[in-house]
Amino acid sequence: MTIRNTLRDHGQRYRPRIACLKKAEKVLLEMQDPKTGVKSQPQRLVITTIPHAITGEDILSWLADRFQIDTQEARNFGSMLVALGYIYPLQDHKRLVIKPDASLYRFQTPYFWPTQQWPVEDTDYAIYLAKRNIRKKGILELHEQEQYNRLHKWMNHKWDFIVMQAKEQYRAAKERKKPDRVVFDCQERAYWVVHRPPPGTVSAMDYGLDRRIDPNADEEKTPDFYGRIMIFTQQSIMRPRVKSSVSIGALVKYCATYNGHDPFLSKCLPSNPWITDDITYWNLNMPNVEIPTKMRVERWTFSFGELLSDPRGRDDFRLFLKKEFSGENLAFWEGCEDLKWGTAATMREKAEQIYKSFLARGAPRWINIDGKTMEITVNGLKHPHRYVLDAAQTHIYMLMKKDSFGRYLKSPVFKDTLKKAVCPEEHKYSDAQLEQNAKNRRPSLSPIVLRQQEKEHRAKMAANAPVDITQVMSKLSKTGKEVSPCRRPPPPAKT
Amino acid sequence: MKKTRTPGCLTRKKKKGVYRKLHGCQKLGGDVIGTRWVIMSRWRQSVDELAARHRQQVECQRAQEALSRVTSCFQQLVASLGSSADCSFLRDEMDETRMLAHRICNGLSKRLVRLLSGSDSIPSGAEDRQVSERLWVLLLSVLENFLSDLRKARDLIGQFPLTQRYDRRSLVNTGCMDGVVGVAARVALVQVPWLSLEEEPCPDLTNHIVGLEAMLSDMQLRVPVAFWSVEATQPPWAEARGELDEPDDTLEDMMVVEAVSYNKMVACCQPPCCGLGCVG
Repeated sequence: MTIRNTLRDHGQRYRPRIACLKKAEKVLLEMQDPKTGVKSQPQRLVITTIPHAITGEDILSWLADRFQIDTQEARNFGSMLVALGYIYPLQDHKRLVIKPDASLYRFQTPYFWPTQQWPVEDTDYAIYLAKRNIRKKGILELHEQEQYNRLHKWMNHKWDFIVMQAKEQYRAAKERKKPDRVVFDCQERAYWVVHRPPPGTVSAMDYGLDRRIDPNADEEKTPDFYGRIMIFTQQSIMRPRVKSSVSIGALVKYCATYNGHDPFLSKCLPSNPWITDDITYWNLNMPNVEIPTKMRVERWTFSFGELLSDPRGRDDFRLFLKKEFSGENLAFWEGCEDLKWGTAATMREKAEQIYKSFLARGAPRWINIDGKTMEITVNGLKHPHRYVLDAAQTHIYMLMKKDSFGRYLKSPVFKDTLKKAVCPEEHKYSDAQLEQNAKNRRPSLSPIVLRQQEKEHRAKMAANAPVDITQVMSKLSKTGKEVSPCRRPPPPAKT
Repeated sequence: MKKTRTPGCLTRKKKKGVYRKLHGCQKLGGDVIGTRWVIMSRWRQSVDELAARHRQQVECQRAQEALSRVTSCFQQLVASLGSSADCSFLRDEMDETRMLAHRICNGLSKRLVRLLSGSDSIPSGAEDRQVSERLWVLLLSVLENFLSDLRKARDLIGQFPLTQRYDRRSLVNTGCMDGVVGVAARVALVQVPWLSLEEEPCPDLTNHIVGLEAMLSDMQLRVPVAFWSVEATQPPWAEARGELDEPDDTLEDMMVVEAVSYNKMVACCQPPCCGLGCVG
């Protein structure tokens, strides 16, 4: 029994790229319908009049009507469309949000849509910057200037092409009539605000790493491909069967148990930091917090796995076991985890250390496993590998689960923790306060700092290692009465 | 047009040092006059070759500029695809522009391959080679740029086919109403040196893309040119200091809204804008 290491999980699970783009396009096209689409009005400029301007409130009412959603949801959806670049604001063009008032927007032309099979090229950006240079005589924004210099350095070999093309595009654009020219310039500017956002803004185009292959593309029918299909079907046949009533019952039970704890399905106390920008929730649920929340403690009671996977729960359990003088089980289990997920270079030493501390005859923290498992393990340790202690670890896990876990839940340690657990009140923020929160956003601690803190914590734990069972027993027998376990000098530090 | 070689082969002369009867040259006393004639002819020949190469480079440079013009006009046309300004006229103009670009590309690539493949008898000087390499890199960049525009055009035409009347309902209302007559006229004015000589049928869009991709990879295989050795001729920010043909409005100036209806709602962002309610 083991817990998957969620922090360093390199599982190459398919991470779909922005699938919402196709759906957004469909919505966009629906909005164009002359009868059922969004109402448009002309925009009156001093020099000319340009049609097809739409107001923010019209967009939002159309969305709310079409999808039967409330105004807040429509606002989120509308802002997403703007952030993706399908609609661009005519005033305040750098802020990609929808304002629910009469501010004007316009649809982006399909050439500038953010569809994925057209990668956004730096060359195009360089040409755009050169064009802006020509137009504004070198007065660009700071981040644009930096980008320009960087591109000039990296694309030096194409620079003549870039300048030539910029001049030609500039002249070609002048051939169009004034209103069209204004529209095209707005469109291009909006495109680059989306795809080269100024620093400090969050871009909707961040979709993480690229996948090596396209999971939706057709696979080549090689012999290897058919071989994999065969293995898959063979395994499906060999799989043990479970009645659907049983499996569905398990699913229902899981859903019922975890329903209240899911931040999507139920309220997250005090408030969801992603929505309100208030990080109390994260602070209250830090891995090594003194006083956990009630929800967290409740979660520990669901299963032994939950208790062990939560660092705070594990600490509590360790405290309980220390009082019961059976802490070696948990220590052994943690040592096995460390071996399994650690670096290959330290494996040999770790295995030896674990053997000396837990498995050898007369070891200081000897664990009680049955003879057969012990034999297998000791034989395996002659040539140690990552999973050599798997059998023993499973045995100990089951032992803890069946025996200690039940006693823990009834113990005073747990009851004490449960009593002290805090249940925060829900936050109720007004719009103005939400904006204030957004302004006060700060980046979190750097991962380097976090890792150092973790290391210090672990060293502290190792230094305060609990007492050897043999020494305590001998003390008890000597004095004949209960002696509180005193701190012995710490054992030599683990390598 | 190259000057034809004189029948008396110079190399042979170099090797054997035997006098041949050259046009109008008499065996005057001593080797001196003869050698001088040889050197003169060789010199004149290399000058002629160099002049020819220089002419070709200038021709390619002009074709390069023409290609740039055509591709920028093509981009303006493609930007209107799928929008309310999309119509059959636009697509016809796009095809015409594409055809022109195709002709220029083909001719230019052939000439540059010839210039750079080193099949000339007289090896080019370092500067000469540099100029040719620069033209090569420029051509490849233009081709890549044009190719990406072509791909976008193909996808957009696939997404917005204008075959049926009701298709027009799904066109995006972008605010562009006018066609692109001015741009089309600009394309029509483009002059290519070899326009009249090579006439081949223009492929349709998909084949054009495939052909262009094949041409790109073929070119890169045939001529080994190191991209990084080409440097820009102008310093950064040079185009900003250049004189414009006529003083132009910036987008901010053009987007100034009529004050009457919008004054109450629009907050004037920055003082440099004029007193009217400003946009952008």
